[in-house]
Amino acid sequence: MAIHTDMGSQLVNLCSALLLLTCFAIIAQRRLSACVDLFALQSVFLAVTAALVAFLTGAYHIYIAAGLTVVIKAIVLPRILKAVIERLNVKRELELNINIPSSLLVCGALVILAFYITQPIISLGFLLTQDSLAIALAIVLIGFFIMIARKKAVTQVIGFLVIENGLFLGATAAAYGMPLIVELGVFFDILVAGLIIGVYTHRLQDTFDSVDTSKLTGLKE
Amino acid sequence: MFFDLSWIIDWGLLSVISLYGIGIFLPSVFFRNAHVQNLVAHGAAMAASVAGIVLGVAGLLAPTAATFSVSSNLPLLTFQIRVDPLSSFFVLIISLSGLAASQFAVGYVREFENRHSMAALGGLYNAFLLSMILVVLADNGIFFLIVWEIMSLVSYFLVVTEHEKAETRYAGFFYLIMTHVGTAFIIVAYLVFYQQAGSFSFETFRHPPAPIPEGFRTLIFATALIGFGTKAGIVPLHVWLPYAHPAAPSHVSALMSGVMIKTAIYGLVRVYFDFLGGVFPWWWGFIILTIGAVSALLGVMYALMEHDLKSLLAYHSVENIGIILMGIGSGMIFQSYGLPHLAALGLLAGLYHTINHAMFKGLLFLGAGSLLHATHTRNMEEYGGLIRKMPWTAVFFLIGAVSISALPPSNGFVSEWLTFQSLFLSFQIPDLLLKIILPIGAAMLALTGVLAMACFAKAFGISFLAMPRSAHAREAQEVPWTMRIGMGVMALFCIVLGLAPMGVVPVIDRVTASLTGISIAEKLVSEGGFALAPAPDKGFASISTPVLALLLILLVPAALLMAAVIGGRLRKRFYKTWGCGINLKPRMEYTATGFTQPIKQVFDMIYRPTVKLETEMLEESRYFAKRMRFQTHIEPVFQEYLYDPVVKVLQKLADRVRVIQSGSLHVYLAYIFVTLLVLLLWVR
Repeated sequence: MAIHTDMGSQLVNLCSALLLLTCFAIIAQRRLSACVDLFALQSVFLAVTAALVAFLTGAYHIYIAAGLTVVIKAIVLPRILKAVIERLNVKRELELNINIPSSLLVCGALVILAFYITQPIISLGFLLTQDSLAIALAIVLIGFFIMIARKKAVTQVIGFLVIENGLFLGATAAAYGMPLIVELGVFFDILVAGLIIGVYTHRLQDTFDSVDTSKLTGLKE
Repeated sequence: MFFDLSWIIDWGLLSVISLYGIGIFLPSVFFRNAHVQNLVAHGAAMAASVAGIVLGVAGLLAPTAATFSVSSNLPLLTFQIRVDPLSSFFVLIISLSGLAASQFAVGYVREFENRHSMAALGGLYNAFLLSMILVVLADNGIFFLIVWEIMSLVSYFLVVTEHEKAETRYAGFFYLIMTHVGTAFIIVAYLVFYQQAGSFSFETFRHPPAPIPEGFRTLIFATALIGFGTKAGIVPLHVWLPYAHPAAPSHVSALMSGVMIKTAIYGLVRVYFDFLGGVFPWWWGFIILTIGAVSALLGVMYALMEHDLKSLLAYHSVENIGIILMGIGSGMIFQSYGLPHLAALGLLAGLYHTINHAMFKGLLFLGAGSLLHATHTRNMEEYGGLIRKMPWTAVFFLIGAVSISALPPSNGFVSEWLTFQSLFLSFQIPDLLLKIILPIGAAMLALTGVLAMACFAKAFGISFLAMPRSAHAREAQEVPWTMRIGMGVMALFCIVLGLAPMGVVPVIDRVTASLTGISIAEKLVSEGGFALAPAPDKGFASISTPVLALLLILLVPAALLMAAVIGGRLRKRFYKTWGCGINLKPRMEYTATGFTQPIKQVFDMIYRPTVKLETEMLEESRYFAKRMRFQTHIEPVFQEYLYDPVVKVLQKLADRVRVIQSGSLHVYLAYIFVTLLVLLLWVR
């Protein structure tokens, strides 16, 4: 299972970096449908990374995971989200908790933090590639940050899915993938979560005439 | 032995668990019709109770304890069950009460059928009985705590059956908090055991690898007392009882008041006499005795002032738990002074009163349930004259009232008499202080008995005699036979326990012998098996309830004869009661408030009553009152001076902590995010 080619490891790093880049693009984007597209793009990159890892390590079950990633994360979930956007007629994220330039700065800091945190683990040296674990953690943190910084429920769903992409990247690129059964379970969870959050968004719209989650404060006694 | 006891125990246990299991799940799964669900649930409970009675009797007769064990995948948890005399005795109590209450329930819950889910009520009822059985059978600390918690939660759900009423929700909430505070203390006690013994198995609690140090033993004593005491309802932890017990449906109240609080007595006896081996300093027993005496006295005093029949009965549970603890406490004192015979006597008196209270309190709650069923009110001031409308209920209620008032030859009399004997025999203790104090306890017990009698003179007189005080009482009808049979079964148990103590004592003696190592049945039962005599060689008293009963029965014709001889000719005239020329109205009757007024005056130091009297005069003349308004109110001392301050402090703290609960999704996410980052940096 050892990696012989430097080339392969470089490629995995490159793809991981592209994943990170799409995260920044999502942060910088106000239009919701563009955010969804960027998420779909990110998922495609993820699938490519997974396929690369599968090719390099010979762990063929990761191909299945890569295929599922394309189907569910790049096709099905974006469609669901777009349908929600269409139906609820929320096109743009207008008010932000944190404005875009500051968000980008914070995300930059998070990436540095992620590299700093994973340094001791990477230096142990048994990872497939040097940097993908750090990048994966950075993506998780940025996904989390999206959920905090954006108000619309749809953006929060995207943040949640970005977190999941980060975890998946960490699992495949750094640890040669999880057992297939676990991955299948995760995909199922994601799908269910997507559906639940879709319903939740509808309810939010029905109750508050808005998908702004800060209005949930009104539920407090 | 004609048949194999261990075989009976195996199958008894299996059928108890599976029959309750059927009662829990079958009604909700297969049947749609509420009445069928009712019949299936309570039928299963009855069958399981019969199996439980068999199991209890077999367990009491078996020469050695039977143990069962099923391991689980969870750490520290093993499903261990042990059928020994103490647990069998409590299984017997639970099953006897369960049998009568289930029979009663069939009729009683009919009026719930359209309003509430019968599958839920019936299923929870079965779960409640099963959890109590498992509490007394559990032989592993974690298993015990799990079933204890299930028992508490299930009983909470039963309390809030009528959750559409705000007062019921409050009662349930109060109960839930109190029971969890108690459970927390029990957990502490068991953790100390675990830390000392290295395992949660009760067997290692009994025989820890090294003796438990004195300090930890004291800690176990205190935490077990508070923990189990909360469930038992000792003063001052009793405040939830008068709320929660009345709020539940009556057949559940009967079980909660009659049986559930006894699981706490079981816990105390189990911990002190079994786990700690009956070795303790004298002041442990003294504390138990004092708490018992105070609970008994205050319980009955507050009961006297209560005019809600079910709350009154709940306060009497506090009283009777006190009497039970007085027996057990005196037993503990004797035990620490090396007087095992007397220790066994005290413990026996306590356990005898335990089973007696389960029966007569169960009976009285079923009677109260019948009154509620017939009149739709719990307020005694709206009853009256019910003896003519509901003769059966009246007779059963009277049997219960006589028993709880400890009038000879009832069962309550036997056990209270044994408690008295145990307290009087304190002159054998070498300590002068205790020689003086224990008879004071006996005096308090005597006062308790008198007040209990006054209370039930009130409860029975106001409810059943004279004229109906309200439309509810005027329209009351006798309850259906399903309910009458339930009460009749309980009444029968009461009578048997009262008239055949010489049969009951050897049975309980097996329990106390297993705990103290000394059998006193042969000494106690004398005169060819017809009388009880705790210390015949000391010239002490002995009683025989069958002879007493015979005497009482013979006294009736004797009195009639005397009346005929001395009183002259018997004439019968039927005429209205003379009312000074005015027509008699229900409003002229003695009220429950009026009845207890003298006692309120005498003990005003404890009651701290406030009376408000407003008189509205006629406008034409200030000498004629148009309307008078009378309000009286006794101060709930414990709630005002003990509970309210604690609640206030907690609320202040909660208000402070509440600041972090902004209600904003983003802030919560930020909390998680920051925690994650801090933890990640921490582990680096």
